[in-house]
Amino acid sequence: MIKKTSDSFKRYIPQLIIGPMLKMIEAVFDLLIPLFMKSIIDLSRNAMMGLSPLYGMNAISRGISSFLLLFGNWVESPTLNYALIGGTFILLMGILGFLTTMITQYVAAKTAINCGCDIRDALYRKILSLGKQDRENFGNSKLLTILNSDTYQVQQGVLIFIRLIVRAPFLILGALVFSFLLNWKIGLIFLTIIPLIAFVIFGIMKKSSERYLFIQGKLDDLSTKTSDSLQGAKVIRAFSTQEREEKNFNKKADAYYEEALGVQKLNAWINPLTFSIISLATCFVVLFGAMPIFESSDNSLNTQLASTIITEISYLLQIFTTLVQLTNVIMILTKASVSMKRIDEVFAINEKIQEKEGAISSSLEPGELLFDFDHVSFSYKEGGNEALKDLNFRLEKGKSLGIIGGTGSGKSTLIYLMLRLVDASKGKVLYKGKDIKDYPLHALRKEQSFVPQKSVLFKGTIRSNLLMANENATEESMIQALKDSKAYEFVSKYDDFLDHEVEEGGRNFSGGQRQRLCIARALMVNPEVIILDDSTSALDLLTDYQVRKNIHDRFVNTSKVIVSQRVSTVKDCDLILVLEGGRIIAQGDHETLLNTCEVYQSTYESQTKKEAD
Amino acid sequence: MKKNNRFFQYLKPQKVQITVTLIFCFLYVVSHLIQPILIGKALDNALVSDFTAFLIILIACFFLSLLGAISDFFFEYKVGQITQKTIRDIRKDIYHKINTVSVETLFKESDGNLVQLEIGDVENVANGMFSVLKSFVEGILSILVTILMMFLVNWILALGVLLLSPLSLFVSRFVAKFNHKYFKRQAQIQSELNRISLEAINNIDLLQTLDNQENSINQFENQGKVLRKEGKIAQFSASWTNPTTRLVNNTIYAVIGVVGIVMISFTPTYPILMMSVGSLSSFLTYTAQFSKPFNEISSVMSEFETALFSFQRIDAFLAKDDDIDEGKEDIQDISEITFEHMSFSYEKDKELIVDFNETVKRGEKVAIVGPTGAGKSTLINVLMRFYDPIEGSIRFNGVDGVSIAKKNLRKNYGMVLQETWIFSGTIMENVRYAKADASDEEVIDACKRAHADTFIQTLPDGYQTKVTAKAGLSEGERQMITIARVMLLEPDIVILDEATSNVDTRTEKLITDAFDQLLQGKTSIVIAHRLSTIKNADLILVLKDGHIIEQGNHTSLLAKRGFYYSMYSSQFQ
Repeated sequence: MIKKTSDSFKRYIPQLIIGPMLKMIEAVFDLLIPLFMKSIIDLSRNAMMGLSPLYGMNAISRGISSFLLLFGNWVESPTLNYALIGGTFILLMGILGFLTTMITQYVAAKTAINCGCDIRDALYRKILSLGKQDRENFGNSKLLTILNSDTYQVQQGVLIFIRLIVRAPFLILGALVFSFLLNWKIGLIFLTIIPLIAFVIFGIMKKSSERYLFIQGKLDDLSTKTSDSLQGAKVIRAFSTQEREEKNFNKKADAYYEEALGVQKLNAWINPLTFSIISLATCFVVLFGAMPIFESSDNSLNTQLASTIITEISYLLQIFTTLVQLTNVIMILTKASVSMKRIDEVFAINEKIQEKEGAISSSLEPGELLFDFDHVSFSYKEGGNEALKDLNFRLEKGKSLGIIGGTGSGKSTLIYLMLRLVDASKGKVLYKGKDIKDYPLHALRKEQSFVPQKSVLFKGTIRSNLLMANENATEESMIQALKDSKAYEFVSKYDDFLDHEVEEGGRNFSGGQRQRLCIARALMVNPEVIILDDSTSALDLLTDYQVRKNIHDRFVNTSKVIVSQRVSTVKDCDLILVLEGGRIIAQGDHETLLNTCEVYQSTYESQTKKEAD
Repeated sequence: MKKNNRFFQYLKPQKVQITVTLIFCFLYVVSHLIQPILIGKALDNALVSDFTAFLIILIACFFLSLLGAISDFFFEYKVGQITQKTIRDIRKDIYHKINTVSVETLFKESDGNLVQLEIGDVENVANGMFSVLKSFVEGILSILVTILMMFLVNWILALGVLLLSPLSLFVSRFVAKFNHKYFKRQAQIQSELNRISLEAINNIDLLQTLDNQENSINQFENQGKVLRKEGKIAQFSASWTNPTTRLVNNTIYAVIGVVGIVMISFTPTYPILMMSVGSLSSFLTYTAQFSKPFNEISSVMSEFETALFSFQRIDAFLAKDDDIDEGKEDIQDISEITFEHMSFSYEKDKELIVDFNETVKRGEKVAIVGPTGAGKSTLINVLMRFYDPIEGSIRFNGVDGVSIAKKNLRKNYGMVLQETWIFSGTIMENVRYAKADASDEEVIDACKRAHADTFIQTLPDGYQTKVTAKAGLSEGERQMITIARVMLLEPDIVILDEATSNVDTRTEKLITDAFDQLLQGKTSIVIAHRLSTIKNADLILVLKDGHIIEQGNHTSLLAKRGFYYSMYSSQFQ
């Protein structure tokens, strides 16, 4: 089980070690190839001048040349011979390097994607088990970003780690060491320019990525403006303000232009600066490397000095390419480590809503209490404003509860407490006589049916949506539920009936149709309680009434909780709670409330007088 | 190629800039690529102990690299500038188009699509343009100049490199194509994963109450399994680029090196070979760099394709016709609106309003009623001239609506729709939107009459409080702001959608009071949700499925015992 990001790496320790090591083989070859070239030049020069093969060579060249001499004579001409043997080795090294690299690349690809998927799977499971409060601390969109893009960053990090973490520094270091061995003065030049180039690339990239955030902001401005204008297209035309809008937009477009150009200008410095450094270094390499040539008249030695220069120039180019790569590696790894932290924040959350060990479910006889709220208060943040204050009420099995109140009165939060999406901050919610926290969570979920305010359908078919509530449901029970929720009248018109497609978010249905399907889904089980959170707002009053009547008639032993802004929807309930500002300001049945509660009374009057939809 | 025409229109004004850019690019490439030759020459001069020549060449080298760096900077900067200028113009044109096409055209495009066009597609064009101008132009030029330089150094080896170069081209193209295919597949799986998680996480409460998380986790993990397989291939194939390039490079390096060394040794015997240690040095540098432009060009090809596709989409939108307005006449003080045999439909074969005849006099109230989705806003669309009648006409003071300029007609209306429109800005700006020259006092007065003043006063910065399209105000407050706008305008005719959604009872009362204020003494067309409005209406139009099925006043419609009657009586079950 993965409990933090690094747990997933532990599964792949062999790959994380062997992969980079294999890559060293190619790096070594890459470093050797220029030296081989030098040895061939030196050997053939000595042969041409009739000197002994190893005449005047330094330690490195001597070693490689001796190695090449081991292979004897393939052809008669010595120059051609050395060239052929050396060339073959260079080719062989290239191919061998390529093959081992490809193994690393494969290991890297496989490990990275597996690592990424492991983390993503574990994270997804974690997120789906999070309680409402924990999630709200992050917000859904941040959770989604962490799930999708941060895990991808970590995956890229693993990929680059295996591919380049050893190769890049090794190549740079190796080239530096060889350059020192060949000519310490040139080595010093290398030592100077490496930090210089790194500084230029890093400095500019860091600055431009900071400014890039700013540009993103300007682009968001443009996007907001465009979507504002599209949504308000009719209004803009009605007020004939197109010209004003355009002037406004053009100003924003100009602002974006200025910013974007600024970053382009910044980025445009990178290449010229690094290019100048490299060119300057090349000039110095040639200058220092060639100075001894003027002082000596030994032709062979001079050629060796020249071939050293050729080798050093190769290393210079290699260092430059690798440095560019290295900055890339560091940027990706930095991003990955930031993402890792974000992911671990989610993994570190202690789930508050959990099933208590050893909890057992129980059944209830009619007349016994299903819910008992005992001085319940709730706040979303510890010590923050209380969304619900000191709630006291009871609901018997089979009875109905109406909850009425304006926006922000705490209706939905009350429902969350009943559903145990959140736990009370103070007081106790008793479910079937026990603290709801001591009741098994899975059993609780099975015993409660909930229709949320926002009617949500999942991509799939009508059938798959209904089966979500009860995977063993029969066709008959589905049809019954559809009939009860008055959805049957439109579902039965589809040729493919229950298998009719549901698009993302159910957007191929109207608001009223979606609500009816959501209610049908809740009716797929025989629960202890059905909770309707303002779930009939898109239905006309007649349909609303019929649906409620069907539920009432068919689910006799089931408690009903109905939340609404319409008095007509809750007026038949056995008990009605009037919520305002998080408190129950009155409770009782319709008649009682009409006589005792002023708010209820005035709401009722204003609604019955004006509704005509 | 008509499609490219519009693109060249954008480039035309920048002709001079583009030429200058090309000159800089040429300077940069040449001074960059001439270096290996100079270094080689310096080496050869050192070997014959000509110190003066050696030094002069090195100094030349230094100054050339300075020139190269400066030209490189201007080249890259200019490319950025040309690109940004072009996309700025494109952006402005798209926005202009959004404001000049008909509402109907916009209606057919989804909002998200057009925002994507204006933001995402234009960015794609920018990326593609930048890459093509930079990597492509630089790459091609580099290849040509390198070949030229190599021929200058030694034509025999140059010929050899030229023969080997298709190898680089072939390999990089092959790898890029291979990648593209697998990355596309990986992206598809990735977006499916995103969809699953988006759906679940946004509805997690429901999912948890259904105790259905396992199901979604299974779906997610199964999709993940596919990703493990396909993603592995995609990542692996992408990682071919560098090693294969190195392999090709090393091969060419080995071949050129070996051939070069052999040529050096035979030059004394066969002077035609003309090979020296210095030339070999130049050559090895050229071959090491030769594959770079090929790689760069092939890597920008996909960006170029994306950009082309995006520009085609942009081009298609820009090619749409502007809203036609043949109307020229002005109209003021509308005292009578007459529908004369008016028919209307959104689509040709789906008739909605057929042969509608009615006259509305100054000060009268028209109420439009019907179930949700009955097409109640159709009539408003026609009255505002967002759409025009198919047959017959609407006459204003006897003048055919089609002959009145849209702008002139619309200034007589004030409109409050159910979907409120608040733009990012202060409250003051939002209200003043209706009448640009209104004083602060007028705005505040309008807000008072719309019952909005009270809540505005409680906001942190009062009238200067910043709000956005999505945040800062509740639904009810937004509605009051739009009412205040119309209050400020004092139009002859008010168009109103009474629906109040997501509003608590107290706010609802404030809003409905504001509605009553607004309608006083004005000709009004109201999508009615309140009994009082309906009862007071001079004319009630009952709509169902887009058709006007009944018309009359409250009493006459009740007496009819038709659809209106059943709708009316169903509410008090």
